[in-house]
Amino acid sequence: RAICTVFGDAQKSTAGHRKLVISLRKIQEQCAYEPVKLNKAKRQEDYEEEDFNSEVVRCVLRILPVRKAEPAGDRVVRFLGTFLNSAGAKDNEIATSSDPDTTSALETPTSRLVSQILNTLLQLLTVKDKVIRFRATQITSHIINSLDTLDDTLFHQLRYALLKRIHDKESMVRLQAVYGLGRLAAEVEDEDRGEYSDSEDDVGRGVLEKLLVVLQNDPAAEVRRNLLLNLPLTKEVLPYLLERARDSDGATRRALYARLLPALGDFRHLSLTHREKLLRWGLRDRDESVRKATARLFRERWIEDCAVLPAAQAAEEAEGEGAQKPANQAADPSLDALLELLERIDVVNSGTEGGIALTAMKEFWDGRPDYVEYVSFPDDFWEDLNPELAFVARTFNDYCRSNKDAAYAGHRNLDALVEEKLPEVTKFGYFLERELNKLVATMHEAATGEDEDVVEDAAQREFIVEQLLHMALTLDYSDEVGRRKMFGLMREALSLPDLPEEATRLVSEVLRLVCGEDAKGEREFCGIVLEAIAEVHDTILGEDGETEQDNSSVDESFHSATEYVDEDGATVSKPKPKKKNGEELTPEETEEKAIKEIMVNMKCLHIALCMLQNVGCDLEQNTHLVMMLNNLIVPAVRSQEAPIRERGLLCLGLCCLLGRNLAEENLTLFLHCFTKGHPALQTIALQIIADILITHPSLLAEPSIDATTATEQPEGNQLIKPVLKVFSKSLKSDDPAVQSTGATALSKTMLSRLITDPDLLKQLVVAYFDPDTGTNAQLKQSLSYFLPVYCHSRAENAHRMVQIAPSVIAKLVTIRENMLDDADVDDESGEGMVKLGTVGQMLLDWTDPRKIVGFAEAAGTNATADGAGETQFLLVERLLDRMNSYQIGKDEKKVLFSILGKVHLPAGACSAELLKECCQEVAVAYETGLATDMTSRNILKKLQSQLFEQMNTVAAAERGGGG
Amino acid sequence: SAAQDKEKKVRKEKEPFEIDFAAPMSQELAAQLYTNASSNATISLPRKEWRSRTRNLLPDDKHFNSKDLLKLFLKPKARLGARKAGGST
Repeated sequence: RAICTVFGDAQKSTAGHRKLVISLRKIQEQCAYEPVKLNKAKRQEDYEEEDFNSEVVRCVLRILPVRKAEPAGDRVVRFLGTFLNSAGAKDNEIATSSDPDTTSALETPTSRLVSQILNTLLQLLTVKDKVIRFRATQITSHIINSLDTLDDTLFHQLRYALLKRIHDKESMVRLQAVYGLGRLAAEVEDEDRGEYSDSEDDVGRGVLEKLLVVLQNDPAAEVRRNLLLNLPLTKEVLPYLLERARDSDGATRRALYARLLPALGDFRHLSLTHREKLLRWGLRDRDESVRKATARLFRERWIEDCAVLPAAQAAEEAEGEGAQKPANQAADPSLDALLELLERIDVVNSGTEGGIALTAMKEFWDGRPDYVEYVSFPDDFWEDLNPELAFVARTFNDYCRSNKDAAYAGHRNLDALVEEKLPEVTKFGYFLERELNKLVATMHEAATGEDEDVVEDAAQREFIVEQLLHMALTLDYSDEVGRRKMFGLMREALSLPDLPEEATRLVSEVLRLVCGEDAKGEREFCGIVLEAIAEVHDTILGEDGETEQDNSSVDESFHSATEYVDEDGATVSKPKPKKKNGEELTPEETEEKAIKEIMVNMKCLHIALCMLQNVGCDLEQNTHLVMMLNNLIVPAVRSQEAPIRERGLLCLGLCCLLGRNLAEENLTLFLHCFTKGHPALQTIALQIIADILITHPSLLAEPSIDATTATEQPEGNQLIKPVLKVFSKSLKSDDPAVQSTGATALSKTMLSRLITDPDLLKQLVVAYFDPDTGTNAQLKQSLSYFLPVYCHSRAENAHRMVQIAPSVIAKLVTIRENMLDDADVDDESGEGMVKLGTVGQMLLDWTDPRKIVGFAEAAGTNATADGAGETQFLLVERLLDRMNSYQIGKDEKKVLFSILGKVHLPAGACSAELLKECCQEVAVAYETGLATDMTSRNILKKLQSQLFEQMNTVAAAERGGGG
Repeated sequence: SAAQDKEKKVRKEKEPFEIDFAAPMSQELAAQLYTNASSNATISLPRKEWRSRTRNLLPDDKHFNSKDLLKLFLKPKARLGARKAGGST
């Protein structure tokens, strides 16, 4: 039959579909419209519409058993859709031409055919065979999506049936159901909410609502992805769609950035929060393709939204409508568009250090050479800077300088381009000076007035200055005039009491840079900073009258700060100071004075902190630093005020990095801070301790034995024990920051081989898997990086991991049991905890000798890989020892055996001694009947034969060598 | 028709798959088409899988990277092992 032939051809390729649609339509017309259109002579057989329809349905049934993987099936389905769509349209044409008044929803031959097909399929949506269910759902959904209208009753039946299928066991069925419902969703929503609500309560709720639940919860990513791309883009749905930017599946995230968002229309309709989050998530995605898609979205779509609209508006104003934007063609570069784009992503907030606007602009310049070419920075650019302009200049500068040598059209390279476009250092210095002055003026105004606009203005000024300072950090100071200009400027800026902290930090860095890299420059830098601190101190407290008489008042006032503490240890505002005339201060005045002192202290300490971060000299050789330590930092550490004390400790810690003696003296103090302090202080203490140990590795070294040959027992290093204790305690802290800082600190010291304690390693690994730390993402992510690096970087580390492996598993088994016993646990089967099998898998991976650095290259010869090959022999020995020596539970045994089944035991890598021990353990395991089920018996058997074979080789070699 | 079925299977393995639209309804297909699932539950996801605890979202990414382990906490700019560079000693 002709119909069969058409369908048969349709499966081969989609190319011929158009022709086939026409021929099938002809057959249909012959059957359905005979009286109207047909020339009887041409008709050989007299078929009725009904025959046609049932023949098509018969063909449709033939598609049903076709497995999903066959493209032929999909092609026929597509063909069917195309045909029904076009035939429906033709029917309507005929109907309208015969009766122009018909509006819609009339019955036509095609609509009858559709009903017949769909009614047949409806029955098949619940059959047992999954392939049939899949194809039936696929065809149904495809037809729904191919048609403009649907019969009302059918519509409700379909909706009901498909809603059942969104929970189908097979993800391929759910995918199709969701695809069909996506189309229905919008219509259902505006049409009849609640009509069905009193019948089947399950179905009564809106289709859309259910689909949104699926979007969030379906276990199959492709279902979520399909839904993401097929739901109506309404205001209510949008937040659910955007949430998929964090979907656990990379392809779904990419679909959002590469397909949904570009299709969404003007990004300015998104809220600021959404814009910021989407950028941040997308540009920092773990998946490179998502990052790329986001970058393109930003520099190709979002900028176009800004570039095109004002242009279109302008055109509209000029010549009325009809000014269509050229599709897919970038608008000419426009500074205004770029400024608007930056404003729309709130660059004052998103453009700070670590902010997403920096990444976004890096991608922008990288992908828009037209803009790189286009921007220019003439003098009037700098005249009236706003945050967006400053950010354009700063990111352009960053981009060019970090791609210095990249060739650039018409220029030698980007470095040359930026030199040409930006003003020279001296001029830049003047621009910066002007901005600094504006900032200080605004800060004053903001401090005195209560005008909110001024406060905001100050924030903007601050941002601008920061951008220019960042640029200053990249300039070339070989020109002495320029250098001097900047030197003088920075020196003055540093002593501005009102300069905000971030700007102060940048100023100190620029100053360090212009002083010159060498030791002389560093000394000069320290001297200037100290002067600045004194000056800040004087300017602020000076206004108060002449309470402080001399220039060394820095230390005077700090000493008085400590005296409060000595007096009675509690109150800071204890009235003590007297004015020079002897009048008593009122309580308000006293309090005000105390607050002011705190602020001065904080500011001075901050400057000191910035300086200390930028020097590397020996503290004891630098009188400036020693003076600052004694006069500023030590008193701060003793202060009663928590913020001062914390900042003081940070400074002291930095000083300790510059001098081993100082570090040795103060390590106990930091240990004490951890023991007695609150979480914020504990975090600081942990950081300092780790940094000190890493900077002065000798602090933890065992005292050399030769010095103490007299006494048999050298006293050992007194510091090790308390240090280990502090780290151990930090891992058990309730505070997530303390816990993760402790873990990271420990990671660093372990990588530097300063701490080699196996028990701490065990605690670290347990903490990694412990469900209690489940919400501490920082801890988890830092450890998931550290643990493999640690094990794979040295065989000795991997061996340590092997040593602790049995006890780690034992511990985790206990934790798991306790958790399951706990009646309060709401999720069944300990879902909150990683599976023991996974733990085993990771331990195997960490101790895999093939992954240890140097193993593959030269087994045994490389120092770091020494003994690498033995690693999992040792693991075998340890695990069997555990099972042979203790009565352990079923779960634990299962994990241990599963590990044993996958160990890698390279021939000839193991010492005879260890090999023998392994064999002995296997023998014991056999004697005691350790393996109770088939799987474990097989594992043990395999292990035994492997070990025996190697043992024989060794024995043979020994005999050969001996005889 | 059993023979025909057999032949179809053999062909299926050798040549590219093709649907034979002219073929009459086989028993096999009829059985597939008209055997309904014994209950809705057997062809549906277990109810507890209808909801995902995480809503299938990633945890908050902390962007931890290798460099973080090689930096000092207090002086992030100073590289480990590169102490006292720049001729200050």
